[in-house]
Amino acid sequence: MELWRYLWRRFIQIGITFFVILTILFVLFRIAPGDPVTRMIGPEMTTEDAVRLISQLGLDRPLWIQYLYYVRNFFTGNFGYSFHYGQPVIEIIWDRLPNTVLLFTSSVILSAVVGVFLGKIAAWRKGKRSDTLMTLGALVTHTVFLPWMALILIWIFAYRFGWFPINGMISEEIWLDPSAGLWIKALDVFHHMVLPLLTLFLIYFGSYLLIMRSAMLETLKEDYILTARAKGLKEKVIRNHHAAPNAALPVVTSVGLSLAFSINGGALTETVFSWPGIGRELVFSVSNNDYPLAQAAFLLISAVVLVSNLVVDLLYAYLDPRIRY
Amino acid sequence: MGLLAVEGLSIGYHTEKGLLHAVEDVSFTVKRGRSLGLVGESGCGKTTLGLAILRLLPENGTILKGRILFDGADLLEKSDEAMRRIRWKEISMIFQAAMNALNPVHRVKDQIAEAILTHEPETPRETVRSRVEALFDQVGIPRSRMGDFPHQYSGGMKQRAVIAMALALRPRLIIADEPTTALDVIVQDQILRQTRRIQEAFDISMIVISHDIAVVAEVCHDIGVLYAGQLVEYGDRESVLQSPMHPYSRMLLGAFLTVGGKPPRVPDNGNDSPDLMDPAPGCRFHDRCPMAEDPCRQTPVASVTVGRTHRVLCRRVA
Amino acid sequence: MADGFKTRKKALSRHGHWIERWKEGWAIYKKNLLGRIGLALLSIFTLMALASFIPPLIDPMYGPMSGVDPAITASTGPSARHWLGTDFMGRDLFSQLLAGARVAFTVGITSAFVSIVLGTLIGMVAGYLGGWTDVFLMRAADLIMVMPTLLVVLILAALFGQLNIWSIILIIALFRWPGVSRVIRAQTLTLKERPFIDAARVAGASHVRIIFRHIMPNVLPLSFLYMTFRVTAAINIEAALAFLGFGDPGTVSWGMMLQWVWKTGHMFKAPYWLLPPGICISLITLAFYLLGRAMDEVLDPRLRKEGERY
Ligand SMILES: Nc1ncnc2c1ncn2[C@@H]1O[C@H](COP(=O)(O)OP(=O)(O)OP(=O)(O)O)[C@@H](O)[C@H]1O
Ligand SMILES: [Mg+2]
Repeated sequence: MELWRYLWRRFIQIGITFFVILTILFVLFRIAPGDPVTRMIGPEMTTEDAVRLISQLGLDRPLWIQYLYYVRNFFTGNFGYSFHYGQPVIEIIWDRLPNTVLLFTSSVILSAVVGVFLGKIAAWRKGKRSDTLMTLGALVTHTVFLPWMALILIWIFAYRFGWFPINGMISEEIWLDPSAGLWIKALDVFHHMVLPLLTLFLIYFGSYLLIMRSAMLETLKEDYILTARAKGLKEKVIRNHHAAPNAALPVVTSVGLSLAFSINGGALTETVFSWPGIGRELVFSVSNNDYPLAQAAFLLISAVVLVSNLVVDLLYAYLDPRIRY
Repeated sequence: MGLLAVEGLSIGYHTEKGLLHAVEDVSFTVKRGRSLGLVGESGCGKTTLGLAILRLLPENGTILKGRILFDGADLLEKSDEAMRRIRWKEISMIFQAAMNALNPVHRVKDQIAEAILTHEPETPRETVRSRVEALFDQVGIPRSRMGDFPHQYSGGMKQRAVIAMALALRPRLIIADEPTTALDVIVQDQILRQTRRIQEAFDISMIVISHDIAVVAEVCHDIGVLYAGQLVEYGDRESVLQSPMHPYSRMLLGAFLTVGGKPPRVPDNGNDSPDLMDPAPGCRFHDRCPMAEDPCRQTPVASVTVGRTHRVLCRRVA
Repeated sequence: MADGFKTRKKALSRHGHWIERWKEGWAIYKKNLLGRIGLALLSIFTLMALASFIPPLIDPMYGPMSGVDPAITASTGPSARHWLGTDFMGRDLFSQLLAGARVAFTVGITSAFVSIVLGTLIGMVAGYLGGWTDVFLMRAADLIMVMPTLLVVLILAALFGQLNIWSIILIIALFRWPGVSRVIRAQTLTLKERPFIDAARVAGASHVRIIFRHIMPNVLPLSFLYMTFRVTAAINIEAALAFLGFGDPGTVSWGMMLQWVWKTGHMFKAPYWLLPPGICISLITLAFYLLGRAMDEVLDPRLRKEGERY
């Protein structure tokens, strides 16, 4: 079937892309100034530990064997030990990954859904005051410098009004309290998540709004919209059932293309809000010269971007029958 | 009294350079169960006329004056909601660009069913289904292709699907804008015959728009010839075909009838289509007319009745 | 999409000397209110960048980086002596803000220029030569497109140590060409089919000559348009990098100012310090963005016809 061929092809492409990134990183770690071994072996390690790790990572073998070890270690999750935490990197990554995925996916979905919805309305009311307002609003929020937006939101809503926590993801006292139920905990996480989510939302919904708006205006000029009008359909049906599903296609494409930007923003947001995700971990590990952790964090973030690309492709295929059939 | 009577209709488009007079003082009637063919070269305002009847002109198009009486009531005075109910139920349209007239993200059968359900929401699902099936049979698309998406159809199938859709509600008037231009001659012929059969079987009135007088001559009872927005000649098929009076119709027909013979030379004075932005008050054809005199340009022309149903817009004929 | 290129192609191939074209373009641009606002903002920032040389001349304590007001030991609010106040070491915030404009322009324009040159060249070569060259270049473009630039620069900073401003500019440029090259490639593909290219080939012009003499003039306006969008990306990435503490320690950029206010814990206490740099980064981004949109309208007649003003 067409659909499977398409998805399979995308899957292969994305797999290759990941492999290339993996390889580039390997090469970079070898050609950077300094000794590659010291980049994987922490300064505080005992000699035995170091020797064991060196042989595990194959650092005493020729380059190409090192590469094979490296690939195998990636797939078995053996990234070495974090210098900073003294823990296996994989443990840190597994601990942080869900937090990043939570913030990243909810922000992308929220801003895309709202952006598409508002863009649709704006196009429909083209030239009216509400359109002008939405378009200008989108232009302005979209161009605000993200960390600054985060700081301002913290300043207003966390510091001034005290509505939300200033940073972090959980309140210790709630999580340590054995009587606290799951709901309370979830609510607590949500409470912490509001501001980071709002930051990402404010920055990213604007671009989706603008894309949807212009895609919608293009679509409204199509002949099938004229047909829909001639059929005596209600305006709302024309807008939601005939124009919007077509206009949403280019938006979905652009969501896919902008995932890499969104993850940049995600890392910045995590850092400002001390949200315990991989992005923040990457920033930290770079500051601390914690190479094993930096390497793994970067690879995992790339994987997140690629997997979400695949999800976007799936969505596209679902929305566009020209791919499905 | 006809089903549709267009009276003194003028239509303009607002453009960057000013008002474009696309249709000027056009009047005609379409009788019940009969078909009217509108012919004329590209850009003469055929589509504009068709869209105006359904009140579907683009945003920058306006009806400057005139009335469009459907069943005796002026469509231009109806509320938007009343007009919406008339569309497709009473008057449907086959669009010029049938290739793109179907929405790519919906199944063809759903697009047809949608028309039925919009205007007859109470219809049971089963009935809708069998009606859609019947329509596919009528236009000759296999039922097995009903659930396809438009991109899976060939051009001719899309054209048929569009025709099926136009017939879905048994409207009283169908406006067919170049229903077959995109197709090869054989398919074109097939579809024309089918259309005509269906039209006669269900007693539907039709306006067939074409730049090809052969098409119009084949399927229509009445013929109107448009030139640069003016209806220069209008009458029943026989009168217009056998004794065309307007110099432009004669040129058109000359080209059509004298296949094999020597077609009359079309005088081409360098300027083919007249400027619609600021047209001279008189006959818009005067530039290319072999019989033109000075007054043709400046004096507004009135149409001249030359037979019971035959009118011509030309000073020289009077 | 394809349609867009078609109309663009038409717009670009309009005859006439380039001065005429500019005049015509300007006439359309002038009608765009937001485009004018963008230009006005940019002129203000240009003035700021130029003015950044003045304060240190008045008094060394106004040096944005090393000038310290000896009378001040902690961050102070605006005063006649320090229009925007000072940071925690007594450095003048206003001079820092002016210097930041200079850095923003340097980073934005240089990096955008390099990435546009790269993108245009790669796009033209891929589109013109086709075949495996095309496949290879476009796959590379896809690959780079899914890499988060900011994080890539971070990793490079980890491996290669502190990056100076020029390496930052270069890295940003190296990771920002794919978008442009895709557009230019599509444009080249349509140009390739046009008769004048064939004519040139028949006349014996070499590939290099065809690319530079015949194709390039036709795609340059488009490259130019994309440059404005790249400027905003570059400025933002540099600012984010500086904000995270990986900027060039020898420059005072707006991102750096924000890092200082954040890291020294002044963000709740010193709005006079927190607000100006953020506003400047956001506004300069907005300005280039508006400029780009208005230029898009000049290049794509469809947008114009529909009377889009935003
Ligand atoms: N939206 C519009 N804005 C401005 N002018 C228009 C618009 N639509 C049509 N016109 C102009 O109105 C005139 C009539 O156009 P119309 O589409 O009715 O021609 P037509 O007879 O259907 O031609 P064709 O046979 O090529 O379809 C033409 O001069 C055309 O340029
Ligand atoms: Mg037409």
